Amino acid sequence: MPHFRDEEARAIIRDAYGQVRSTSAVVAEMFYAPEELDVLPREVVLLALGVGHPLRHAALRGGETVLDLGCGAGIDTLLAARAVGPTGQAIGLDMTPEMVARARRNAETAQLANVQILQGQIESVPLPDASVDVVISNGVLNLSMRKSRVLAEAWRVLRPGGRLSMSDLVLAESLPQEVLASPAALAG
Amino acid sequence: MLLKKFFNVGFGDIRVVERSGVGLERIELYPLFTADFLDLLRRTLPEERHAEVVFSITITASKPA
Repeated sequence: MPHFRDEEARAIIRDAYGQVRSTSAVVAEMFYAPEELDVLPREVVLLALGVGHPLRHAALRGGETVLDLGCGAGIDTLLAARAVGPTGQAIGLDMTPEMVARARRNAETAQLANVQILQGQIESVPLPDASVDVVISNGVLNLSMRKSRVLAEAWRVLRPGGRLSMSDLVLAESLPQEVLASPAALAG
Repeated sequence: MLLKKFFNVGFGDIRVVERSGVGLERIELYPLFTADFLDLLRRTLPEERHAEVVFSITITASKPA
């Protein structure tokens, strides 16, 4: 039984991610190579909050369109944009207005013209059917109360033959009730 | 359980390509968590779980052509 209703969970997550500040690149440095981080704006590197490196397994090719579900400040979106090149496109989607603003600013700083940042929910992706080649996400699916709905949306927007690569957190054993009932646990 | 959700919506070639334990030391690196929440984890989780609270996994899958 979920401890939070859908809208309640969304508000908690929006607040947590909207207010997050970081002065350390330690999370990014756990997953990305120095040469990947060196070419990105500093703000993107500081605000990496993912739990893996989904692009490492996405086998991106030039000219492809990539959708990053829950893009945050944009680290994977910007790396995807570089990987697909000017004939491709990287689309970041995030529900948190502050993260959308940061991702747009970071794309501009990185001078990547093939980046589009959209504000919206991963349970209702504002893109047409069969419009992207690859869907990625990093530490985001676990934040949704409707995971099957998110996956169905990923399926809908992928072209036939399209690929998905998601890094996320899973529980091996249940957490104590006190932890599960904590809004802070939901945000992570 | 999670992999079944991928299968149920129609994805094929579903693979877990990376999997690693995430302990309290790593969770503490994320700026999302308050000192109070980290303390709650430390107090309520048995010590043997501190080194592996959750797992980080990377899943790949494809939509059949």
